[in-house]
Amino acid sequence: MSSRTDLIPAGEISPLGLFEPPELVVECEAYTGTLSTLFLLVKQHKVDLLGVPLAPICEAYLLYLIQRAGDDLEAAATALAALAYLLERKSFLLLPAPEIDDEPEVWEDPPEPYVHEFAEVIHQLSRRWDERDEVFFRPQSGAAQYELPFEIREVSSSQLAFVLERLLKRAKPDLIQPLGRPRRSLSEQMELVMDSMTEDWRTLDQVVVGEFTRSEAVWWFLALLELIRLSKVCVKIEEDEIFFAAGGTV
Amino acid sequence: MADSPVTLDDLTGLLERPVREIEEALHQLGSRYDANGPIQVVRLAGGYQLATKPAYSRLVASFLKPQKKKLSQSMLEVLAIVAYQQPITSAEIDAVRGVQSDYGLSSLIERRLVKEVGRKATPGRPILYGTTQHFLHQFNLNSLEELPELQVDQQALPGFELETLGETPSDPEEKTGPRAVVVTSESS
Repeated sequence: MSSRTDLIPAGEISPLGLFEPPELVVECEAYTGTLSTLFLLVKQHKVDLLGVPLAPICEAYLLYLIQRAGDDLEAAATALAALAYLLERKSFLLLPAPEIDDEPEVWEDPPEPYVHEFAEVIHQLSRRWDERDEVFFRPQSGAAQYELPFEIREVSSSQLAFVLERLLKRAKPDLIQPLGRPRRSLSEQMELVMDSMTEDWRTLDQVVVGEFTRSEAVWWFLALLELIRLSKVCVKIEEDEIFFAAGGTV
Repeated sequence: MADSPVTLDDLTGLLERPVREIEEALHQLGSRYDANGPIQVVRLAGGYQLATKPAYSRLVASFLKPQKKKLSQSMLEVLAIVAYQQPITSAEIDAVRGVQSDYGLSSLIERRLVKEVGRKATPGRPILYGTTQHFLHQFNLNSLEELPELQVDQQALPGFELETLGETPSDPEEKTGPRAVVVTSESS
């Protein structure tokens, strides 16, 4: 089946689309010509539609429908669309125009005080903020305002890293687990580590027994570090060996 | 040593002594600390608290390693508007600044400098914001009355005049009719 564009030669597309409306000639004081041209001129605002009576055109169209509509339905539909457009435009033009307010537009003043008036107080507040940095108060309980130093005796971070490295050597590779595998929270892991700790000084190899994976080793060590930070676990070095014990051990 | 300012009411209730006597004792304690040692008595956020002296700030900071959090210019702007205009809605802050302030406002709430203080009795019941006790503490203020005085200009936007729609043109030969609204710099 041919497309609609194939039915009309190139360059012969009407202003109303692909099909020319029937030759309905309009004659009046404001305009004389075909319906198709009237439609085009109205769209281009070249004809005053208020001067063109539409009722006779509608009557002529109805007569055309009665007499020859069966000849070309496409042309009849195009004419209907053109008439509908003209009627809508004219109806709109006939509506009473909104009154134009001759009063000058009233400008709403921005709320006072204006933002630029805050410049000086912003400067003073900024200075107060900086001055406040020079004064220290006891931190509020629960608020990590300051990073308080914690006691790890003479043990260095690299020596702790060596302990982790040794723990990882004992660990078995992780098995591939499906996504969404539940894992202990750090606080749960910390409780587990605390349960393993005693007041006796022991190496990490003595504390962590049994089989464990690399992930479990890392998780175990993170919990241990957090417990050291909270002074719940003590750490010391003796003869190049690092020992751990529950907090409070001297 | 309290971790937040202790009010006179707290002290009178605790020590069962008259306010005047406690104020006198606080004054004496403050004078004694001022004369010697690294501690001072400060009056802020409606109470009294012990704090280190600024002269020792570098030494104390090297030990405590405080988390320094700067306030951006836009956050300071929002904070100043809230402090001076409270209780105020988000839309009113936007109107004063001429730009949206949602991010600055939420950042200030996160830092506990601003909080919701109620709802405005207008359509939509928008949230009203105000400053917190923490704001007073952070800016070393005893109360909002100690905020720096806001100098309000009497002349609106000096150096500019507004030309409005439909205004009679100064040049009679100039075409009448709708014109664009423009802001012109005042000729000197």
